Amino acid sequence: MADNATEPLIETTGLVKNFGSFTALNGVDLKVYPGEVHALLGDNGAGKSTLIKILSGVFKPTAGEIRVEGRPVSFASPRDATDAGIGTVYQDLALNALTSVTRNFFLGREITHFPGPFGVMKMAEMDEIATREMAKIGINVADPNQAVGTMSGGQRQTLAIARAIYFGAKVLILDEPTSALGQKQQMEVLKTIRKVQKLGDIAIILITHNEIHARLIADRFTFLSLGEVIGQGTSKDLEGDDIKRLMAGGAEIGDLAKELAV
Amino acid sequence: MNQTASSRQESDRLASKGWLKSLLARPEIGPIGVMLLLFGMLGYFSIPAGEFSLNPFAGEGFNALGIRNNLRVIAQLGIIALGAGLLIIAGEFDLSIGSMIGFAGACMAMVLRWGFAIVIPYISFEGGVHIEFFTLIYIENVSPIGAILITMCFTLFFGWLQGYIVVRSGLPSFIVTLGGLFFLRGLTEVSLRAFNHRPDQTKGATTVTELPDMKNIINVPGHGEIEREAAKALPEADLQAILQTVPADTVASITERLAYTYQRVADAKTEIMAAKGVKPLERALENAIESGNETMVATIREKIETFTVTPVTPRTVTDLDVVRTYIDSIPSAQPVANFFGGDILEPIFDFLYFPVDWNTNNFGNQFAPGLYSCVMIWLILALICYVVLSRTQAGNWIYSTGGNLQAAKANGVPTDRVKVSLFVFSAFCATIFATCQVFEVNTADAAKGNLKELEAIAAAVIGGIVMTGGFGTVMGIIVGAFIFGIAKEAFFYIPGIDGSFYRVFLGLVIIASALLNENIRKRIMGTL
Ligand SMILES: Nc1ncnc2c1ncn2[C@@H]1O[C@H](COP(=O)(O)OP(=O)(O)O)[C@@H](O)[C@H]1O
Ligand SMILES: [Mg+2]
Repeated sequence: MADNATEPLIETTGLVKNFGSFTALNGVDLKVYPGEVHALLGDNGAGKSTLIKILSGVFKPTAGEIRVEGRPVSFASPRDATDAGIGTVYQDLALNALTSVTRNFFLGREITHFPGPFGVMKMAEMDEIATREMAKIGINVADPNQAVGTMSGGQRQTLAIARAIYFGAKVLILDEPTSALGQKQQMEVLKTIRKVQKLGDIAIILITHNEIHARLIADRFTFLSLGEVIGQGTSKDLEGDDIKRLMAGGAEIGDLAKELAV
Repeated sequence: MNQTASSRQESDRLASKGWLKSLLARPEIGPIGVMLLLFGMLGYFSIPAGEFSLNPFAGEGFNALGIRNNLRVIAQLGIIALGAGLLIIAGEFDLSIGSMIGFAGACMAMVLRWGFAIVIPYISFEGGVHIEFFTLIYIENVSPIGAILITMCFTLFFGWLQGYIVVRSGLPSFIVTLGGLFFLRGLTEVSLRAFNHRPDQTKGATTVTELPDMKNIINVPGHGEIEREAAKALPEADLQAILQTVPADTVASITERLAYTYQRVADAKTEIMAAKGVKPLERALENAIESGNETMVATIREKIETFTVTPVTPRTVTDLDVVRTYIDSIPSAQPVANFFGGDILEPIFDFLYFPVDWNTNNFGNQFAPGLYSCVMIWLILALICYVVLSRTQAGNWIYSTGGNLQAAKANGVPTDRVKVSLFVFSAFCATIFATCQVFEVNTADAAKGNLKELEAIAAAVIGGIVMTGGFGTVMGIIVGAFIFGIAKEAFFYIPGIDGSFYRVFLGLVIIASALLNENIRKRIMGTL
């Protein structure tokens, strides 16, 4: 899949983000290709969340450039990023557990009979779309009127992902999608990601702490440490130990072993 | 590896709920039970002593006047509970509702009484530095609709301001609207005293009285727009002249109805006289039985059996009676005042008196003229709220704003606008409440609406609204208003019990409702 001839869907060059005098990101270059899972790895505080918040329009970069399909973009709000095709599935999933699957699927983008906030929603049509779109990436909801609160963590992930894709995400950003889940549900989420990958035209940026998950599913890796890229490559380029070493922030695993032995 | 496990899907784990369980998960089910209980209590306890009936609607609580008065209390509370309830669903509170009612009523009454002016103060240097006032606009006679719109400008702005402060500062709405509660009540009292502080006014009064009875201003041929009572008190010659303008068939139907009324009144009088005459005899009978005087008992028994009174002769229907009744039936010339302060369903209540003879009091007269108009206004508002909350995009935004604010924001829901709009709506409901009150009773008082904000919140909670937001229905708010409004009446009729027990009861219901709501919320969240 990782064909360098294709144009990256999203590309950042020299992305810098300062919080006051603190440099959270210091010149990050990133290229994400369609149909690829791009794992973003790094220790706590490395700047992963800051990077994706810039990509999803929450933060404005201090310096640097973002290109989507070759065109430079500048996001004033998360809405701009969504409109440009960058869909973010946050750690908390941005779901309202008290309302139904359908109401969550269309939250903020309800289909109505006439425009304006007082437009009556086309409930049947929305139910149908939500069920269909979730089935596409592997989950059959028993009842689209089921409250999201009654769904499993894996199902909620699927809902959030299906929603982002349906509303035109070409780049899907998943922030630690497996971190809060049990083993079985983690596998379900990975399966969902694989299904999205197979759709072929969507690029996925996957943030994870879990090396095994990254290895299972990612086509390309970027390692962040202290706000800088310390390693990048495809799954073929990187040996098992490289990944371990880079995940630990660049320290040689051998050194670590020595230190721990003391 | 376990082979059977892999064929099972996650969605299979959601056990399909039985109908009973899904019915019990409906947020309204508990409140509806309490409401039915109260209706039963009101009905049975209000059955007059000595009578027996299995039908709860035979009780005095459900006679025409009881229904009229109870529905008014319920509707008034229901109107503000809608505003309070929707706001709570969006995750905020409004404690200023009661003060807003007082303010809106006073503002409207003052504008109706003294007109509306925009006055600009400025510093004058002529003849020593002092403050002068420049009157930019002065409208002396403001129509009811004008007064309502002017009041709305103030109240809606204040509602907006409170909302704006809440969303901008991130302060709890509890504090901001607590400030509003004191500010508005104080402002109302200060303004009323200031305006009453004139030579022709009671100094320092915090009321507005002597407003014309706007809803009863009618157009009488030859006399223009005058109050109904004034028209009925016109000289006889004038009334006769008016009668000439009334079509013959109207005169005929009014005459028929008056004849019925007079007959009915006469019958009632006869009945009362008979009851009064028999009563001493019955007492004597009891005494006789007690003393064991057999002959005495027999004589008194006979006397009771043969007791008759001469039936009262009914009044004859005169021309003046007809014309006065006709004046009563002339529709209001002030449709706006009548819309808010008048009655509805009058033809039905007339029909229930004549010929149905249900809407009849003990003296044979018609009991209730109709329902208060605020009942209709409440139902219209409730219908709109129902559609908006459960069917429209705005409704989904309200739920998500209260249910998960961050999620709503992340999905592009304009949560600040949702909240501010609902603060404005809450102020709107308070103003509607005040409007109905002003046009019903033609007075305003700075103390009006006291504690109403808490009653509105209580009604919402009883109706299944979760205080943390995101959960509840308009149907629930309606039921909550019914419960709160009917409880006092129901307890009033329980024999030998202090009427204030209804507060004890409501207190328990509020706590029980809150517990139940939380339970339902957790069940829906899947944590129970
Ligand atoms: N809004 C903010 N203001 C100030 N510092 C921040 C802010 N957000 C993140 N940081 C800092 O930037 C660094 C990177 O954080 P983050 O991107 O959340 O790391 P990661 O997601 O890789 O664990 C951390 O040291 C964090 O304290
Ligand atoms: Mg993070």
